[in-house]
Amino acid sequence: MKTKKGFMLRSVAGRHVVVAIGKASVEFNGLITLNDTGAYIWEKLSKGITYDALLEGMLADYEVDEATARAGIDSFLETARSANLIDED
Amino acid sequence: MRYNIAGIIVDMNVRFPRLRSQSKTYEYNGDRETNVKIHLTDRFFNERLAENPHLDYEMIEYIWMGSEFYNALIRFNGMLLHSSCVVYEGKAYLFSAPCGTGKSTHTQIWLKRFPGAYILNDDKPAIRITPDGVYAFGTPFSGKTSQNVNASVPIAGICILDRDTTNHIEPIDPDDALFNILNQTVRPPEEDSMDMLLTTLDKILRSVPVYRLYCNMDLEAAEVSYNGMNGGNK
Repeated sequence: MKTKKGFMLRSVAGRHVVVAIGKASVEFNGLITLNDTGAYIWEKLSKGITYDALLEGMLADYEVDEATARAGIDSFLETARSANLIDED
Repeated sequence: MRYNIAGIIVDMNVRFPRLRSQSKTYEYNGDRETNVKIHLTDRFFNERLAENPHLDYEMIEYIWMGSEFYNALIRFNGMLLHSSCVVYEGKAYLFSAPCGTGKSTHTQIWLKRFPGAYILNDDKPAIRITPDGVYAFGTPFSGKTSQNVNASVPIAGICILDRDTTNHIEPIDPDDALFNILNQTVRPPEEDSMDMLLTTLDKILRSVPVYRLYCNMDLEAAEVSYNGMNGGNK
């Protein structure tokens, strides 16, 4: 899975924000703010990654147990999918 | 004809009286190189007119020359903030809000309350990061009113404006500020311009305080917003 084309993650005033560019900006003129974990997941997703690889990465980069990491990823994906920001493959 | 707008040397082929008179004080005859060339062609005018039959050539020039300028401004550490900008005691105060909220109404109250205050730009001031800090600049493009002054003034604060029955003001956090400011500027569709815009916005939010002002139309509204942005009494 991968974040939809036309979105850009940047750090502004200490916050992680996602804005739309190009064609995506016609449909989405909002602003998504992410916490550190959200930005980490977005960054990985923007390059395209499987669920298992994402989970593995989180377990390696953060000191969390598997249940917590899964919960974090699941809740992120649920929100991102409902906002139509993810391309499944 | 060349113009110095917000410190940027712009070559514009101005044809109609409205923009010609509004840009008079920005005319430039110095030695600096042209930074931006904006020449609207006959074809461009006719295409815009076909899309917007309620406009005339004069308005088309005013609107699109402005929008090309603000697009270019992003490449010069700058951005447009849709706001009414009032200057008092050598400092600029920007009041931003969606159309119809009363930005101009509020800055007009400043003019009544504070002698010597003036409007730098009533609708579309330019903001630029300069070596001396974050400055507001007058531009020839000032929306419905012709109120603009060719000057650059350090920014004291940005206020997001809301109507209320009583007057009060509070600082807002970066999330809230970001959201409101990004909604009151023109976002470029190109990735590199968007990148530059966010970099500029990052610098602005790190050095300029942003507030939310709830206000009515009494003279007190100007006092509350001045005091809130200066931490003192007037």
